[in-house]
Amino acid sequence: MEFYSYVNIFETKGLAYLLLMSFLVLGVLLIKYLSTPEKKDSTSVDRKSPH
Amino acid sequence: MDRRQFFIASATVAAGGVPNNNIKADSAKEPKEFVGVLVDTTRCIGCRSCEVGCSTAHNNFVPDTAADKALEEVRDTSDKQFTVVNQFKTAKGDVFVKKQCLHCWQPACAAACLVNAMVKTKEGPVTWDGDKCMGCRFCMISCPFDIPKFEYSGWNPRIQKCNMCYERLQEGKRPACVESCPTDALMFGQKRELMEVARHRVYSHPDKYVRHIYGEHEAGGTGWLYLAAVPFEQLGFRTDIGTTPYPEYTREFLISVPLVEFGVPAFLLALNMLTDRKDEVSESQGWEDE
Amino acid sequence: MNSTAVFNGELKGFLRFLLQELKPRGPWLTTFNIISIPTIIAGLIILYFRFTLGLGSVTNLSQQYPFGFWIGFDVMTGVALAGGSYVVCFVVYVLRLEKYHSIVKVTVLNGLLAYIFYSGALVLDLGRPWHIINPIIGNSFGYNSVLFLVSWHFLLYMTVLFVEFSPTIAEWAHWPKLQKFLKSLTLGAVIIGITLSMLHQSGVGAMFLMAKPKIHPLWYSEYIPLLYFVSSIFAGISMIIFEGSISSKVFSNLIGPKSHHAHHDIVLGMAKGAAITMFVYYFFLAFIFMHGDKWKLIDTPYGYWYLVEVIGFVLIPCFMYAYGVRNKNFGVIKVASIMTLLGVVLNRQNVCLIAYNWNVPVKYYPSWQEIVVTLMVVFVEIWVLRWIITRMNVLSKE
Repeated sequence: MEFYSYVNIFETKGLAYLLLMSFLVLGVLLIKYLSTPEKKDSTSVDRKSPH
Repeated sequence: MDRRQFFIASATVAAGGVPNNNIKADSAKEPKEFVGVLVDTTRCIGCRSCEVGCSTAHNNFVPDTAADKALEEVRDTSDKQFTVVNQFKTAKGDVFVKKQCLHCWQPACAAACLVNAMVKTKEGPVTWDGDKCMGCRFCMISCPFDIPKFEYSGWNPRIQKCNMCYERLQEGKRPACVESCPTDALMFGQKRELMEVARHRVYSHPDKYVRHIYGEHEAGGTGWLYLAAVPFEQLGFRTDIGTTPYPEYTREFLISVPLVEFGVPAFLLALNMLTDRKDEVSESQGWEDE
Repeated sequence: MNSTAVFNGELKGFLRFLLQELKPRGPWLTTFNIISIPTIIAGLIILYFRFTLGLGSVTNLSQQYPFGFWIGFDVMTGVALAGGSYVVCFVVYVLRLEKYHSIVKVTVLNGLLAYIFYSGALVLDLGRPWHIINPIIGNSFGYNSVLFLVSWHFLLYMTVLFVEFSPTIAEWAHWPKLQKFLKSLTLGAVIIGITLSMLHQSGVGAMFLMAKPKIHPLWYSEYIPLLYFVSSIFAGISMIIFEGSISSKVFSNLIGPKSHHAHHDIVLGMAKGAAITMFVYYFFLAFIFMHGDKWKLIDTPYGYWYLVEVIGFVLIPCFMYAYGVRNKNFGVIKVASIMTLLGVVLNRQNVCLIAYNWNVPVKYYPSWQEIVVTLMVVFVEIWVLRWIITRMNVLSKE
């Protein structure tokens, strides 16, 4: 039985999986970034996330 | 049941199995295939009688084959000529190739036409119906061979392409180009017969022909078949057509249509009902973030 | 008084009212009028030649390029940019986010006019436009055709948009009972409209599925329909932001102070949606790219052009939207919306005209007549939009 010690991600679907994982991680970060405004705007209600 | 009933039942069943008058036994009911034409480029001498015959039969532009130097450049069919013959200089000498609509078995143009102006007739030729055509030119976008040509210079434009002389076929005649060819380079018949002839020629003369019949599987199979002495990409043929019938490419999309038409309204209605805020804080207090 | 006399009285009264409404309100010599009126007249003259001498006399269409600027830009791009109507209706009527309610009417109106005018532009491009009745009256249904689906969905969607806008028309015509009835149809119309939009936005892309050998592999994939649908979402949002910034200035006298303030919140919310959608779109593009193993194609002129479209006009405006939302920077958001719109325009032109038959020697460029007629269509649409906005209750007066 052969043991593969090196997987070429370009030959397998490895690259697609990497892309998917980075999409999910970056997606979470993006939504976090969009939900916390830096400047306070007087017309919007001050929101605090309940903990 | 007793024997008497058994005999009566069997006789009734047997009587029902006797063929009735509706089944015809004559030879006209033999299975028929789409017709096509076998083009043997090794037999073509480039006389362009087919161009003349075709244009004469369809009241198109009849080229002056004696005087014009049309073979000096590679031409395409146009809105004034359904077929052209091109000359290619190859290692095995000059090869002449007749170009026209290939009458695919599953034509992209017929699948594309939203008014059924482009139709694959049951005899085989793909024909255009001017009474239905809107001139949207979607058939031109869809054809992988870029065959349909549009009359841009008229107020009542037609889509022009070879229709395998459908009217002549109805009268029992052969297409005009096949009729005009002096050297037997064009052979008209059902694809089954043409394939047998083509295979026979290729296998019997392996040094004379490339071992490929263009049109056997291209685009899912075409009505017009080609034999050649040199590889087809040297003769202006597209070799990236693939063997999938072109309407297959839109199948996945068209199948999703009923799914979307039924599924999405149900989903949206559910969302609408789930977001019903009548019991909660009234709208006058503003929109709350969650 | 018998019923006939009442009807006559109503009809005469309505006609008088209509004539009164048709009178112009406002100065004739505005910049827009000075530019648009000659363009419209020139366009009509060009159309006369188009209908008498044929398409070839005024366009650069060819046998290799059957779809040109009128279809590639007016129809395909115009329809993508009108995606705002179904997005806003989804958000307000299905998700019940009342924050966006004040822009529903104007967005639906924009969508309705866009579809009417761009379908009209399509009719101008047809070789035998009088046969357009064929796929409609059942003379000949080509069920297998993607274009059959697209054209029917255009027609149905226009009707649905009209139903969604009709309460405003009934209100303008002083017909409260009709207005109430039409309002009750809104939710159903919205749901049908979103379904129809999903299919025809993706359908416009599906039209190119059979042109596989003719479209450059960087732009062709089996996922074109899905990409077209997703890009119509953020194209519509960007159009709402961009057009909103213009009409809030031009028609500022018709908008009340509360709506002006609410407008900022709306822009932020929309920009957020655009950023997320574009992020998803970009990763989907990356997946398609990797799945099709298109790396080698990047180091070519078309490859660089692809990068310009995907990075310059999708990824960068996506980041700009995100930055603008976080820092409440409306200038950045506005620039992002313009870049996104350009990106969608570019994408549609690429698939339809630039990457289409990309290895053919003679390329297609729109003729000046095609551009003038396109401008004519857009200007007439703006004229109608202006007429409706200044006379009907489209913009919130609170």
